[in-house]
Amino acid sequence: MARLEEKLRCTKEPYAEEAGSRRIKSILFSTLSGEEIQKSAEVQVWKSNIYDVTMKPVENGLLDQRMGAANKAGHCTTCHGGFTDCPGHFGYVKLALPVYNIGFFANDLDILKCICKNCSRILLADKARREFLRKMRSPRADATYKKNLVKIIRDKCKVACCPWCGYINGTVKKKAPLSIIHDFSKGLDTNVDEVRKALSHKRDKFSCTPLPAIDPLKILLLFKRMPDEDCELLNLYSRPENLMVTTLAVPPVTIRPSSLVSFSNSSNEDSITGILREIINTNSKLREHLEAGDPPYKCIDTLWAHLQIKVVEYINSESPSVPESTNRGLVQRLKGKQGRFRGNLSGKRVEYTGRTVISPDPNLKITEVAIPVLMAKVLTYPERVSNHNIEKLRERVRNGPTKHPGANFITLPDGTKLHLKYVDRKIAACELRPGYVVERHLEDGDIVLFNRQPSLHRMSIMSHRARIRPWRTLRFNESVCNPYNADFDGDEMNMHVPQTEEARTEALMLMGVQNNLCTPKNGDILVASTQDFLTTSFLITRKDTFYDRPTFSLLCSYLGDAMEAIDLPTPALIKPIELWTGKQVFSVLVRPNAQTRVFLNLTVKEKIYKKNETMCPADGWVYFRNSELISGQLGKATLGNGNKAGLYSVLLRDYNAHAAASCMNRLAKFSARWIGNHGFSIGIDDIQPGERLNEQKSSKINEGYKKCDELITSYSEGQLTLQPGSDAAETLEQQITNVLNKIREGAGDVCMAELHWRNSPLIMSQCGSKGSPINISQMVACVGQQSVGGKRAPNGFIDRTLPHFPVNSKTPAAKGFVANSFYTGLTPTEFFFHTMGGREGLVDTAVKTAETGYMSRRLMKGLEDLAVYYDQTVRNASGGIVQFIYGDDGMDPAKMEGKDGVPLNLDQLFMKVMATCPHQDQGVLSPSEILKMTEERLSRLDTSPEGGCSGGFVKLLRDFVNKRVTLWKNTRRSLNLDEECLENKASCPEERVAANISGISAKQLQVFLETCTSRYQLKKVEGGAAVGAIGAQSIGEPGTQMTLKTFHFAGVASMNVTLGVPRIKEIINAAKNISTPIITATLLSDRDLLLARIVKSSIEKTVLGEVANRIRVVVKSGQPYVSVLLDMERIDSLHMKISADAVQQSILKHPKIKLKAEHVRVIRNDKLKIYAPEVDRSKLQYELHTIKCMLPKVIVKGIPTAERVVISEEKGVYKLAVEGTNLLAVMGTPGIDGCKTKSNHVMEVQRTLGIEAARQCIINEILYTMNSHGMSIDIRHMMLLADLMTYKGEILGITRFGITKMKDSVLMLASFEKTAEHLFNASYSGREDQIEGVSECIIMGIPMLLGTGMLKVRQRLDSIPEFKYQPDPIIS
Amino acid sequence: MADDEYNDVDMGYEDEPPEPEVEEGAEEELENNNEDAPDDVVAEEDKDQQESSARVRKTSKYMTKYERARILGTRALQISMNAPVMVELEGETDPLEIAMKELRERKIPFTIRRYLPDGSYEDWGVDELIVEDSWKRQVGGD
Repeated sequence: MARLEEKLRCTKEPYAEEAGSRRIKSILFSTLSGEEIQKSAEVQVWKSNIYDVTMKPVENGLLDQRMGAANKAGHCTTCHGGFTDCPGHFGYVKLALPVYNIGFFANDLDILKCICKNCSRILLADKARREFLRKMRSPRADATYKKNLVKIIRDKCKVACCPWCGYINGTVKKKAPLSIIHDFSKGLDTNVDEVRKALSHKRDKFSCTPLPAIDPLKILLLFKRMPDEDCELLNLYSRPENLMVTTLAVPPVTIRPSSLVSFSNSSNEDSITGILREIINTNSKLREHLEAGDPPYKCIDTLWAHLQIKVVEYINSESPSVPESTNRGLVQRLKGKQGRFRGNLSGKRVEYTGRTVISPDPNLKITEVAIPVLMAKVLTYPERVSNHNIEKLRERVRNGPTKHPGANFITLPDGTKLHLKYVDRKIAACELRPGYVVERHLEDGDIVLFNRQPSLHRMSIMSHRARIRPWRTLRFNESVCNPYNADFDGDEMNMHVPQTEEARTEALMLMGVQNNLCTPKNGDILVASTQDFLTTSFLITRKDTFYDRPTFSLLCSYLGDAMEAIDLPTPALIKPIELWTGKQVFSVLVRPNAQTRVFLNLTVKEKIYKKNETMCPADGWVYFRNSELISGQLGKATLGNGNKAGLYSVLLRDYNAHAAASCMNRLAKFSARWIGNHGFSIGIDDIQPGERLNEQKSSKINEGYKKCDELITSYSEGQLTLQPGSDAAETLEQQITNVLNKIREGAGDVCMAELHWRNSPLIMSQCGSKGSPINISQMVACVGQQSVGGKRAPNGFIDRTLPHFPVNSKTPAAKGFVANSFYTGLTPTEFFFHTMGGREGLVDTAVKTAETGYMSRRLMKGLEDLAVYYDQTVRNASGGIVQFIYGDDGMDPAKMEGKDGVPLNLDQLFMKVMATCPHQDQGVLSPSEILKMTEERLSRLDTSPEGGCSGGFVKLLRDFVNKRVTLWKNTRRSLNLDEECLENKASCPEERVAANISGISAKQLQVFLETCTSRYQLKKVEGGAAVGAIGAQSIGEPGTQMTLKTFHFAGVASMNVTLGVPRIKEIINAAKNISTPIITATLLSDRDLLLARIVKSSIEKTVLGEVANRIRVVVKSGQPYVSVLLDMERIDSLHMKISADAVQQSILKHPKIKLKAEHVRVIRNDKLKIYAPEVDRSKLQYELHTIKCMLPKVIVKGIPTAERVVISEEKGVYKLAVEGTNLLAVMGTPGIDGCKTKSNHVMEVQRTLGIEAARQCIINEILYTMNSHGMSIDIRHMMLLADLMTYKGEILGITRFGITKMKDSVLMLASFEKTAEHLFNASYSGREDQIEGVSECIIMGIPMLLGTGMLKVRQRLDSIPEFKYQPDPIIS
Repeated sequence: MADDEYNDVDMGYEDEPPEPEVEEGAEEELENNNEDAPDDVVAEEDKDQQESSARVRKTSKYMTKYERARILGTRALQISMNAPVMVELEGETDPLEIAMKELRERKIPFTIRRYLPDGSYEDWGVDELIVEDSWKRQVGGD
């Protein structure tokens, strides 16, 4: 009512044009002048008290009601809004004296450096000024260019005399935190000295330097006088005086709410209000003093300084000039993870969400999630009433908020909202009309988003169909655990309900589980059977499982709750009784009835596979032919995730996601029922070793211990043969580790061989559902060596690991070898070593998560806006091209079927074609016909580069056909048939045999080629795909799985290479210095060891100390000297070709030994004498000693940065691995093949070979690092990353420095790091943000221009056909 | 779940109804459109239309999954707000399902405006684009 009255007071509502929805096109950052602040403010604030005695906000106080409502009770007198609907209005404080704005302090200083302190003009001559102005105004100048130009101008402005007024300028410096001084001590010419001289006799302590400090007032005056053109030169967007604070904007009350403390006359104020109050206090005191006229000077200064500090605190309370502030300034509100940018703008809080514990339910489909009724009654979907659903919604309304399929609210078209708890629901239901919106409860089939943190890749949030179920957990099919990385040990997951029809559709289409079975990381299937499902499949497909008709029918009914139509296959045995095998269950599972036209064809090698394909003794060769399981016990390789040739992958590719998903559903249901009846469990008897096993184990351990003892004895006697590149202790460690590992392996092998075939852990490990042979052998036989930091347990006591062992003991037990098994139990020392290993693992994970998290964040920020556009180019948000075609062939990594990102698995496809389309009566083609037909097909448009087919794929296809043709020819030759001409089948039985073995009919070839090409076309990456974000996730996500294993031995001789997360970090940071730079060089004649040695010696850094027999000071009669005797024998044996002359030259070249040629005399071929330069006798000895100490470090041969060179041999081919940098010198070394020399140092490659080589180097290095951790990532992601890092022509790391150079958007940079800095710089130079990138769009709440936002949908008006909603007339 | 490609090599299940063949329809329709209805005409800008349809369109003739999602979303929203449905209904009430049916029968009255990076665009009628794959996969149920 109060509001109505306010409205009535207005005689006429001001006219406001109906604006409709508007879109923010861009944001311009600039500075406001004092007048602008005053104009936009509603109120001047000058009273320091906030509330009056009645606790009402004081007029012109900090909570003046004109600035908005201070709390729920108050209301705004400007717009008459309440606390929730008034957006707030600004006020202002007029400062008595200007102060610095701390954000622009550095800019103030820079401007002052460039202008004359007398006339305010820029310190440039007119010609230079014009030239720079022209450059600055050039339309091609971007932000970075301008920034650099200003830097150049600033350097040019370091002149003393102003070219405009002739005033002598001193240097401007920052003194103390917030004061600028104008220093004349330098730079002034001789006049000063003259004056000083002239004055020197007068008084001793007369200072002729003028008062150096420039106060803000003076700066303000200088800035005000600056001409506009000069401002432009300094890249200033608005007037420089705006950089000083003369008027302070007081933010609306709504952003600094005040809460009254109940039952007392006090309130809790926001820290901004607090600081502002102090500013007002100080300001009014200062004003009083000023107005009083001629006040004590000192007093003003202190007050002014205090005002300055308070204003600084208001802007940035963490600034070093503010003494320990407890308040949060404006900058503190913006920056950091919880700040406005990252906490509220980039990530927003949402409604319609739920979170609870998860549990498994194999009865649900993989696309479903069970939602507790309790949740479903709170989460609603606003369904609009239309003719189709009005009856359904009436029912919902009648049920109301408490009964489950009900509704909570009704929104009428005029905007009024009715809560169904408080209205007559029956009436409300009757009054429902089309156009009303009913917020109904969640019901079966609704679309929800399901998510588990950490959300490392896009499959961490997928859309499911809701199933409303009783109880309190969210449930889903175990097959979907993998993408979420969820287990059921207490994990919780989140759920979101999309609220519009568009959101639901997009969620279902793009984020649906069935559309995300594959990971875009490498195209592997991610949603697949796990754990029990695998065990079941393994057990039921054993060769000896047979079922009679009732049992088999029962099993078949398990597949789909007996709701599916099933055609029983022909029984495997007919007499004496009909029996079906367990394998036939799988045939039914894949193709339950004849209507299901799924013809699955695949072969997979299971883990247990030994030899002879289908006749494998362990039955490990899985062979499906036309959806019939011919052989093989199914396990993880066939049914599990991470295999491209697996059953679900093949179903997904050959048929569709629905085929794969329904098979998973069937297996889940079947497995849950079957294994429940069958029973599967482990007990203590499963891990009891048998007698034989115990015997064999102890003999293995004794044997190993003996070997270790021998090694230790030979070590202590010093007779150990050293391994290249390591000393005796290292060699011993390596050898002992080898022996001990062999013990564990041996024990494991024995254990696996000895265990009964029905042993549960064994079964689980064989089918891949859980546990490895190592786990089993640790339980049954022997836990093995415990390692800390990749080595055996370190010494925690003096020269020993634990006081239980003798000093310096190297025996296995003393260094952490656990000979017991978990079953037998560990001894105290063993237990302790085991905890040491365990601790390391825990620390690793803790450290790793933080590191990889930050890495992922940076990758994401760097790549977020890269997308494929409709012309197939990959561009960033501002339209800069990063790749002309994605990944060099425009293929979508998620859809790749073959290994290593090859589009199709031709072998599998060919097998399928041969099986589904048998040639039977049709004749087979001759080899030449096959080739002709292939070429004909390949010459058509859709297999040409113009038709969008990459040359690589055509080659792949052609090679495959050629291979088939050769096979066909070979078959014919071995059957003694003519290779080219075919004979009549009927007449020649061999011909028929040959055709059956590898003949291809015309139809088959045609189908095969057509399938290949059409499928290839569908595998292209689509316009709009956010390849950048996917790439970032694909590289970031595996990072979390990498063990922090840092080092790795490359080739021979322990050449360490950094690997794992640190290495990835080095690469994407574009680090200038990497921890292990290695150059791999190929030799020109790579089979010659001698040559390799010679080249090695010419590269490897060799110092004089290494090749000299002795270096000593000789003090005899005559002049004392240092004598150097070269070890010629050693030099010759290493093929180093060092002579005394060469040594002389190197000594002379050494930068620290400053000797001349006459001081270094060559006596013999292997002898030199070095005399000290002329110094006095007393210092001579000392001088010679210094030289003697420095001489061993003189580099006599090789590249100074090449620390070590190792010759590696592989199949008789020698290669050099150079530990160190300077690729250029290595390439130029005679004997090295420069074209084949590589370095792992990206920055050096860029310097030496250029940007393209650097790009390739980045790709290779990431690929190598990932592969050495056993992770396969599609190379296209690496290419994109490398292209992003190199597309500007220099290598930009994915760090705050590199990203600043890559992106133009201020909002994006501000939401990344250094928030305040970017904002201040942007407003200094007037940057404009176009809001086109991903971050900006999220911040502004605008749909981004990727994916579904890349296109526009337009309604066609003319094509709506006329609908006749009545039956056709009988007589026309 | 059907094997569209191998209809010809089908191993003797001729009796069942053929799946809706989406791809074949597409190529026919390219020609048909010119006769039946001038497809590209959009309400507001006739001039632009002529210009862009005069040029050869370069972008892919396949509908991307983003386009499909966007169109279905927009259409489902329209249907949920009681827009006239362009197909015969067989008891469907879910707007999304109706929209899918409309797309399957190529009856969605939309034009997709594909923007190229230089700001120019190509207009494609929904009925001109080839929609990939079977329809059942989108539903998530049988």
